[in-house]
Amino acid sequence: MGKPDTTLRIDVVDVGCVDAISDKTLLECLEHAGVECHFNCRDGFCGACRTKLISGEVSYTVDPLAFIDDDEILPCCCKPLTNLKIDVPL
Amino acid sequence: MKYTTFNQQSVNPLVEPMFFGNPVNVARYDQQKHSIFEKLIEKQISFFWRPEEVDVTRDRVDFQKLTEPEQHIFISNLKYQTLLDSVQGRSPNIAFLPIVSLPELETWIETWSFFETIHSRSYTHILRNLFSDPSSIFEDIVVNEQIKRRAADISRYYDDLIFHTQLWQTQGEGVHTVDGEVYEVNMRVLKKKMYLCMNSVNALEAVRFYVSFACTFAFAERELMEGNAKIIRLIARDENLHLSSTQHILNLWARGKDDPEMAEIAAECHEEARQIFISAVEQEKEWADYLFKNGSMIGMNKEILCQYVEYIANQRMTAIGFEAPYEVKSNPLPWMNNYLNSDNVQVAPQESEISSYLVGQIDSSVSEDDFADFEL
Repeated sequence: MGKPDTTLRIDVVDVGCVDAISDKTLLECLEHAGVECHFNCRDGFCGACRTKLISGEVSYTVDPLAFIDDDEILPCCCKPLTNLKIDVPL
Repeated sequence: MKYTTFNQQSVNPLVEPMFFGNPVNVARYDQQKHSIFEKLIEKQISFFWRPEEVDVTRDRVDFQKLTEPEQHIFISNLKYQTLLDSVQGRSPNIAFLPIVSLPELETWIETWSFFETIHSRSYTHILRNLFSDPSSIFEDIVVNEQIKRRAADISRYYDDLIFHTQLWQTQGEGVHTVDGEVYEVNMRVLKKKMYLCMNSVNALEAVRFYVSFACTFAFAERELMEGNAKIIRLIARDENLHLSSTQHILNLWARGKDDPEMAEIAAECHEEARQIFISAVEQEKEWADYLFKNGSMIGMNKEILCQYVEYIANQRMTAIGFEAPYEVKSNPLPWMNNYLNSDNVQVAPQESEISSYLVGQIDSSVSEDDFADFEL
């Protein structure tokens, strides 16, 4: 009984593909895979982890308070809902 | 326009600009033009803390063990932080409250300033513990040339805005002569001063605190002055929130999501605003030079500190839509993140929902299991 592979994939521009881990924030998924991403507060209010979302959808675990543009997300407080394509500023 | 503490005219705050519209009358938060400020207030209040909660008694012993250059670094930073929070504890109130037009923003400004006063009180808490009489430290803040230079630059934009607002609110638009000096007052001039002042405040919250923070946390990395580091960590968390608010204000203006005239001014004064940021960075580097003039401390030197300032300046400038002006790409002080991470800040029991702590209160979460041993 092979379960269908439901793991969401996160395509990080210039880095490669990373698997999403359920119950982990996007930042934790990136860190788990060894992708370096800036962070400070890990609570959505400082904006240090601001990342460009090229495609896909995320849901926030807390209301993001830091300023983000319409095409940006805060990986520290969101989880992927679909496969994502993101550009992490290095 | 004359300021009034309760505007008798009926106004709709949903269509007012953030500043220079009608004075606020009813402090209501059921409807908000920019809901972010209400969210920031809630977050800030949830952060509430008192300096007395933090035990700094061990720091006294640690301080005696520091070398002379290290003591100079530690005390100078405290002086500078005291200056910054002295300014921030009053200036947003005096400069922005007379011209604010949204109730949620008005309350945010008051909440913001109030927290800066907690910071000021915590510096006294730290210094009182280190010295039986801290007077000489406080007195030096107004005579120390290095600190005075910074104070002049920080208060300049505030003072300019406050003075022109006073002229406008007492004498109206026009050309006014005060003590032989001629001042032109009109809405465009006022809004420009407002824009530059907000940029100066943003730069202050974004980079000015961070050289001192980095030194404090460098001591803590060596397990020294840890009580102080605990306090500074709480302060850094608050400052991050304040920074978020100034970034929101600047971005709302620049993107034309508030007062359309402010969008024009943001474009017009872009270079001047950029320069405010760059000179704040330069001054922080000079400060690093002054800190290390007598010698270094373990794990930290002037070069790393300057790189760190450039690194965060890049981040902070891109956050308000400016180009990143510096080369540095990676964080030269990665351990700083451990101190700026709010997960690591201890949560007081009354802040989290620990039912055992909530004496005489009702835990509102009830599940079916709670009735498992219930018999009729």
